[in-house]
Amino acid sequence: MAESPWSRIGWRNLGRNRKRTVLTALGLAVGFFAVVFIVGWSQGLMVAMVESATSLVSGQIEIHDAEFRPERSLYDTIGGRDGTDVDAMLAALDADPAVVAAAPRVYAGGLVSSGDSTSAGMLMGIDVARELGLTRFLNELRDGALPEAGRNELLVGEEMARQLSVAPGDELVVVASGADGSMANDLYTVSGVFRSGLVELDLTFVVLPMGDLQDLVVLDRGRIHEVAVSTADPWIAEATAERLGGAFPATGRPLEVVPWQELNPAMVEYVALADAMYFVIVILVFSIAIFGVANTMLMATYERRREFAVMLALGATPRSVRSVVLYEGLALGTLSLALGAVLTFPFMIWFHEAPPDLSWAMSDVTLMGALLTPSLRVEYDVPFWCGAAAALFVTALLAALYPSWRASRVPPADTLAGL
Amino acid sequence: MRRREIVRALVVALASGALTVTPVVAQPDPVEIMERVDRLLRGDSSRGVATMEVVTENWEREITMEMWSLGTEFSLVRVQAPAREAGTATLMAEDNIWNYLPKVERTIKIPSSMMGGSWMGSHFTNDDLVRESQLIEDYDIEIAFAGDRDGDDVWEFRLTPKSEAAVIWGHLEFRVQQLDYMPLWSRFYNEDGELVRTMEYSEFTEFAGRLVPAVMDMQPHDKPGERTTIRYEELEFDLDIDESFFSLQRLQRRR
Repeated sequence: MAESPWSRIGWRNLGRNRKRTVLTALGLAVGFFAVVFIVGWSQGLMVAMVESATSLVSGQIEIHDAEFRPERSLYDTIGGRDGTDVDAMLAALDADPAVVAAAPRVYAGGLVSSGDSTSAGMLMGIDVARELGLTRFLNELRDGALPEAGRNELLVGEEMARQLSVAPGDELVVVASGADGSMANDLYTVSGVFRSGLVELDLTFVVLPMGDLQDLVVLDRGRIHEVAVSTADPWIAEATAERLGGAFPATGRPLEVVPWQELNPAMVEYVALADAMYFVIVILVFSIAIFGVANTMLMATYERRREFAVMLALGATPRSVRSVVLYEGLALGTLSLALGAVLTFPFMIWFHEAPPDLSWAMSDVTLMGALLTPSLRVEYDVPFWCGAAAALFVTALLAALYPSWRASRVPPADTLAGL
Repeated sequence: MRRREIVRALVVALASGALTVTPVVAQPDPVEIMERVDRLLRGDSSRGVATMEVVTENWEREITMEMWSLGTEFSLVRVQAPAREAGTATLMAEDNIWNYLPKVERTIKIPSSMMGGSWMGSHFTNDDLVRESQLIEDYDIEIAFAGDRDGDDVWEFRLTPKSEAAVIWGHLEFRVQQLDYMPLWSRFYNEDGELVRTMEYSEFTEFAGRLVPAVMDMQPHDKPGERTTIRYEELEFDLDIDESFFSLQRLQRRR
């Protein structure tokens, strides 16, 4: 920066009124801090939302028979009527490098009844050990224990438990339509109560070991409706789903391998909308800053009218005077960025590594199938930081544009004459 | 039966002072006819044994059951065969339905949210069982056609829901034989006017001195090839039973 005399003059001018310079630079630095922090927090929220939605109950990828969605018919099992070799399928999935966990599931609609109260329920048959590796909603039961296979035990959601007034140890009658058309029914013991935080789930889902549900609704062991898969990162789900789609041996019936983006398009749109909003935030914050900076720069150049008049009188071109002021703006930008970085990054690291917990102030929030625990965790996004830094420089330069033009138009003779 | 009808028409005509020579052409009242058809099928009270054959894309099954009814509000159905499900019973009292499950020895009341669900795996819904009897209350009935169809004199009725009625159909059509008041078919349309299902009545048979269709065949049009057929094997009417017969205690009794 010290190569040309104009840049050196510009830089040194910052030192003329240090208090003012620091205050102006702080304006830009705080703008930078605000933008990076707000966007980081918003991204943190998005990541939490996507992670929650894809790990709470549904996986990041779901594999079904092609006919299964949207009716979710009892008969549309993977591989059709003949079913499939579930163990082989799971082994193939586990072998994929992107797959973290895979869990088979069986679904059936039914009635759940205790005493005089009966409610409609969605029966979900799971492989308990595999499910624990994939989803979170069973990790911490509100009450009781996980069901054991072959003992007619099941879990109900918190809301259902409340509506049916049941607790662990109580009996429940489950009625469902069997695959053979029979009115399948049996008596079960509530082994525990789960709480996912999603009301519709806690109200309707009944979870029991897969084999027990298959026995109830008269499905063979090879007949399952879904394999849920989780990947290392939600954003590789789409590519992984595409790869897995071609990986299975022909089951006789086409499979459908769907990533969460397809299962929850609303969330994808929400994330896209939030991304678009970041740009608006940048524009908003820096356009507020630009007026503050322009004002200060205008003051600073007005104070130095005589100086510019001398420069012009000594033969400096208006262009050189302009560049002096623009260099000053650039230098101010650099200073602001340094200040901004010093201000921002400790906070970012703090809020990324150990975000303050807000659960004392507000309870959990559910949003589009995601359960959010209130926290202020921020996400790192280096490309966005670079963009914000660029925006900061553009702001400083734009703010200097008008003052520089004014400075170059100072009439030397009149000004030096004190007019 | 037809003679009685003529006599009745005559009496009505005489009473109203219309001493004409052609009393039978008096315009029939559609509500009265529907009521009569309904009463024919049901009687004040009835008991019967029927088999229900359900054919779906995925399975076929046959259930034999014994059924009792009283008026339009009460009925009780108990499965006799197959043995695995024998004793399973359904009680309908007013607008409520209870199922008794002998395997677990429990009675459960069907929640209102599940009234649209299938009854015993058939193409009838729980709602059909409690609603079917209320056609006259829930619908405005008009005669859409009266005259010859395929060599038989028939009436065709069109039933449109009354504005305050909580029903799921857009409208219904009924064809009834004029000769003996036997229903031939009923068609159920949704609110877009599409045919959803058809119920056909056939094999008019005399049970206990009363002519009734022994076979009812229900076909859902959204599932071609599927059907539920109910065939009466025994039927008797006007028994000595009252409302106390249709109790939860009776529901749980395993014959």
